[in-house]
Amino acid sequence: MSDKNTPFFVGYLPSPGPLRWFLMTTIGLFIATFVSAGLFIGATQDAPMPSGFRFDYGPQTVTGVIELTPYPILRVTQGNELIQEGKTLMLAGQGKNGIDQRVMEADGQLRSITGIVLQRGTIDMLQVDGRARGVVDVEGTAPPMETVPLGRWSLAGEICDGKCLYGAMRPGTGLAHRACAALCLIGDVPPVFVSSQPIEGSDFMLITGPDGTVLPRAAYDFIGQFVSLEGDLERRGDVMILRIDPQTMELTAG
Amino acid sequence: MDQAEIILMIVRIWGVIGAVVALGFLTFGIDQVDEDAQDAYVFRPLIVPGILLIWPIVIWRWFVLATGRDHWPNRYHTRRRNHHWVGMLMPIAIIVILATGWSVRQTWPAHIAPVQLSAPQEPTQ
Repeated sequence: MSDKNTPFFVGYLPSPGPLRWFLMTTIGLFIATFVSAGLFIGATQDAPMPSGFRFDYGPQTVTGVIELTPYPILRVTQGNELIQEGKTLMLAGQGKNGIDQRVMEADGQLRSITGIVLQRGTIDMLQVDGRARGVVDVEGTAPPMETVPLGRWSLAGEICDGKCLYGAMRPGTGLAHRACAALCLIGDVPPVFVSSQPIEGSDFMLITGPDGTVLPRAAYDFIGQFVSLEGDLERRGDVMILRIDPQTMELTAG
Repeated sequence: MDQAEIILMIVRIWGVIGAVVALGFLTFGIDQVDEDAQDAYVFRPLIVPGILLIWPIVIWRWFVLATGRDHWPNRYHTRRRNHHWVGMLMPIAIIVILATGWSVRQTWPAHIAPVQLSAPQEPTQ
């Protein structure tokens, strides 16, 4: 057996003298190391803008024209105090789901939409109520809505899911959010491209595949990473739509 | 096949093999290697998730115990001997992983400005 004078730690007895200082020093170093590591790692991350679900506004009901890009957007024709007429809203469902199935027959038609606003800075979207009142038919003829082509562009930035980016998650961007964004996009939440620099005052645009198709599977490998790509840009109300050319996607250097 | 499909396929293959191992081990293997488990069945479904995850270790221990190669004190001696090195390697591995992550991560391409490649067409309604 070992030397009888070797100090031995027993949890429910007072610590032997020589071990006491060792334990105190080790505990102090442990706390200092983990606090320092936490602060250091946290300091290397980008701080997200204040954002989130605006349950404090309560459910918002607006009427407008549904357009399938193929991801649904609402061109508001009859707003309220918070959401003005003329605004364009991206629409998402509950959880990691879009509302494609609920509005697939409504392209170009009037609908009354009820939901909770998601807001990050000056951008926002609507999480549509899961009950029947979420999407309601409206009588009347939908007014014509203008689509303004902006030409073909080369851009750099990041592919995200619109719901998390607009406030459901913080930060909702970056590699750490990649898996969540992929699941949201698989669930048909509208995908959004965050541009490295603004175009016509906007850093964010809804992205689709070429010729009005959904985001191609090839783009899913680039979610949450910084990419350069080319695509055709258009403006619908205050939302820009980027129809990407998947052949041009590549990771940016550095 | 994209990256997500490859990862999903690996997870599926791992899970299917784990399910086969769980079926064999829980129907007759466990009776061979643990006499206390004989005639006890209710707890067996509870350890299925664990077997799905660590089925290679289950196969190894099942083989060692069933063939009488086990010398139980060795299990603890090996672990005690390795504690020192594993304890040293863990913090080093954490630092290496963090440093690698920081060194290979991309930087936001703020220097790349959007470029218009072709002019727009007329607006449509």
